[in-house]
Amino acid sequence: MKKLLPYWLVAPYVVHMLVFVAFPVVFSVVLTFHRWNIISPMEFIGPDNYVRLFKDRLFWQALFNTFRFLLVHIPLQIGIALGLAELLNRTLRGAAFFRAAFFLPVIVSGVVVTILWQQLLSFNSGMLNRLIAGIGLPRVAWLDDPAVAMYSIAIMATWKNVGLYVILFLVGLQTVPPQYYEAADLEGATNWQKFRYITLPMINPTIFTVVVLSTIGGFSLFIEPYIMTEGGPLNSTLSAVMYIYQQAFQYYHMGYSATLGFFFALLILAVVAIQKRYVEQEI
Amino acid sequence: MSRVQLDHIAKAYGNGPRVIRDVNLDIQDKEFVVLVGPSGCGKSTLLRMIAGLEAITDGTLLIGDRRVNDVPPNERDIAMVFQNYALYPHMTVYENMAFGLKLRNMPKTEIKDRVTAAARLLEIENLLDRKPKDMSGGQRQRVAIGRAIVRNPQVFLFDEPLSNLDAKLRGQMRIELQKLHRDLQATMIYVTHDQIEAMTLGNRIVVLRNGDVQQFDTPITLYNQPVNRFVAGFIGTPPMNFLPGRLSGTGPLQFQSDQGAVTLDLSQSVHAPALASFRGHAVTLGIRAEHMSPVPVPGRSMPELTVQADAVEHTGNEALTYFHLDDQRFVARLPADLPLTFGQSFRLFWELDKCHFFDAETELAIR
Repeated sequence: MKKLLPYWLVAPYVVHMLVFVAFPVVFSVVLTFHRWNIISPMEFIGPDNYVRLFKDRLFWQALFNTFRFLLVHIPLQIGIALGLAELLNRTLRGAAFFRAAFFLPVIVSGVVVTILWQQLLSFNSGMLNRLIAGIGLPRVAWLDDPAVAMYSIAIMATWKNVGLYVILFLVGLQTVPPQYYEAADLEGATNWQKFRYITLPMINPTIFTVVVLSTIGGFSLFIEPYIMTEGGPLNSTLSAVMYIYQQAFQYYHMGYSATLGFFFALLILAVVAIQKRYVEQEI
Repeated sequence: MSRVQLDHIAKAYGNGPRVIRDVNLDIQDKEFVVLVGPSGCGKSTLLRMIAGLEAITDGTLLIGDRRVNDVPPNERDIAMVFQNYALYPHMTVYENMAFGLKLRNMPKTEIKDRVTAAARLLEIENLLDRKPKDMSGGQRQRVAIGRAIVRNPQVFLFDEPLSNLDAKLRGQMRIELQKLHRDLQATMIYVTHDQIEAMTLGNRIVVLRNGDVQQFDTPITLYNQPVNRFVAGFIGTPPMNFLPGRLSGTGPLQFQSDQGAVTLDLSQSVHAPALASFRGHAVTLGIRAEHMSPVPVPGRSMPELTVQADAVEHTGNEALTYFHLDDQRFVARLPADLPLTFGQSFRLFWELDKCHFFDAETELAIR
């Protein structure tokens, strides 16, 4: 009995891993070679799902939309988070309050935040347009113009998540020993030079972490377009994950959806590998 | 000309008490001055004030006859070596040394010349492509010094630069720093808590305590003529032995320890004239470990005491022998071949003229 104790202790985790991670991964890979609508039995169709994927213009558009979102969201998020962290890293009065305030949206439910922003960005009754109209400028179709909607969502997602990255950057900044800045002061470095030559290289591991986390987070874009725009207008905010969801749970194309998911996971892996190659630097 | 003058310099943080109080120092051109004192005495703060990393609350700081109180660090023409080296880990040795020159937009060829010359001086030419993490503590220390040298500053500031090195390396680096001072002919101000470093490196030493200068003098003067009990106890290894007592009020001039273990006739000693005005006062006697001997030196006034060894530390060339007088712990530096062991009683002769006396109230030396 005593010999078995260690196995009993690790059993819950192993069972959890097998049921909720290993099995779904293996099953979804198996699914990519089948047609299955949950109700009927699975039908083996070979590589048909993969062939279909490469011909599916809507999927490629959803991918393109996702990249468009990332292109705005990641730089915006990193820039704002780093800027705010720099400010909060100084001995500011009320720094603790601001740290908490910036983090608050992170812990609020995504659905709640999205509904809030939906109201804020509404064409007719939104507060933002009322402000714009108030100063005599034309109203903007934040969520109704295909050219604008995805960027509106990117800004909203940035607002929602930036607090987490502020904290990560703050931790990164606080690991830089103050002597480095003092040595730079003696050398006559300006604030910008200190930031460029000391802070940025020193917090590179944090930057890399933030880039990877926000890339993965960005690729998972779902709640915002699902609630705010339902992928519209004209599929301009249809994200890859939303499309995968639609294939699975609206059309019950479980095999095809699994194929999209599998392909998408490989794509994320490739993007992160590229980031690792070009962003990460050894200190 | 790189004279550094501190005129009534003081420092307080916010409305708090002054951590540096009215410091006056005149450090001459090309002098090597060491600031020494226990932790929290304000030596690093004082150095950082000279560097411009800490604001000066009161007083005037002159570097080369120019008032620099409000001059930013980079315009003071100084270079500083930090305790933890502060080498940028993402830069190579070359980049670290060239960083300051690059910021000044110096031509690349001149940067290269200066870095190469400094690297040659410090014998680190083969390390220029390495990063700090690939080097030993001693090598990093040299690079940190090299980074200071390339700027060719008027004044070098060192903030406990050897404290992260092992004892053997510290000894080597001390010698190299002396050589560097000779080669560069620059003013150097050096902070340490290690009084051996202070004694071996400094042309003059500033002993600090609680933000006050206790004594600013040559090492040998500090050792032989400490101005107060603190300096006497701080300078020297092992530290000076102290014995509280009282001088006789009348009759022959005598020192008697508080608990009566020691009575010394001082009427024929060199101290007699100075001590005369302290008759009847409480004084503290101080004697260094090497001024006690197991045999009397002919021709010297050497009173004899019999004591019992509490512990004997053999260091090879000497035996540090510990014993108690009254309730004070004493140590004597005795010859290594003396067959002494724990608990053994032995005779000890004191070099009376080498003793120091301090006013028990003010702790000032009586001379």
